[in-house]
Amino acid sequence: MAEARKSMIKIKPKKFKVGDIVKVDFIVIHPMDTGLKKDKKTGEVKPEHYIDNVTFSLDGKPFTTMKIWETVSTNPYFSVNLKVAGKGKITVDYTDNTGEKNSKSKKLKPKG
Amino acid sequence: MERRKFIQGMFAASAVAATIVPSALVAKEETKAKVPKGKNALSYEEAVKAITGGKAVADSQKVSLTVPEIAENGAVVPVKVKVESAMTEAEHVKAIHVLSTKNGNARCADVMLTPMNGKGYFATRIKLGGTQDVVALVEMSDGSFLRAAKPVKVTIGGCG
Repeated sequence: MAEARKSMIKIKPKKFKVGDIVKVDFIVIHPMDTGLKKDKKTGEVKPEHYIDNVTFSLDGKPFTTMKIWETVSTNPYFSVNLKVAGKGKITVDYTDNTGEKNSKSKKLKPKG
Repeated sequence: MERRKFIQGMFAASAVAATIVPSALVAKEETKAKVPKGKNALSYEEAVKAITGGKAVADSQKVSLTVPEIAENGAVVPVKVKVESAMTEAEHVKAIHVLSTKNGNARCADVMLTPMNGKGYFATRIKLGGTQDVVALVEMSDGSFLRAAKPVKVTIGGCG
């Protein structure tokens, strides 16, 4: 369970100043099984396995929390805005329905 | 004699099979009706009731929902929601709910925003089981609910 999933945080645009509103994109490699599909090789129904909670935080202070269901696509992508107030660290924590916990962080460096 | 007995046995067996088959078919149909709904199954009306608590929902121009008119693959349908708001402590977008009208589980994502976001914006990709409406239900900080809906034509479903 402790196996880290591949995930990525992207901040758009790349160059930004204090006071700008930037896009924070988060992508994670996850199967997001609905519990309805069959495995093509074994023919058995795959159990439900999906991300259910995502929290975006800046320096430990959450600014966006999400509750997600299995109806979100495989390898989910979430995009929100953030108003830049200075230097900081964006952290995205996510848990799935099996209790797996992971997080990813990226530094926020405004120029000028 | 043995041959005759054998043939009689065959007939009896087929008769028994004939009586069993229809009931088996009925059972299959029942399970078929249940299968597409997972553990989290919730209809659209119930989901809206759970979110709004019975409050009135108004269609609004402030909410802009961007979805493709025709989705070739129902497994990946990009959804973008933008809400016009000042995003101050006094007046901001509290939550954006993305729903679909005909999926087994109508709920896709509940996003709780804060004034730190700067703009009422959320984008993701969802699965759609068939042709249906995608609905964005927005809760403002004053407790009012706004709504925007758009139909999406799906050629290959993505929820099975």
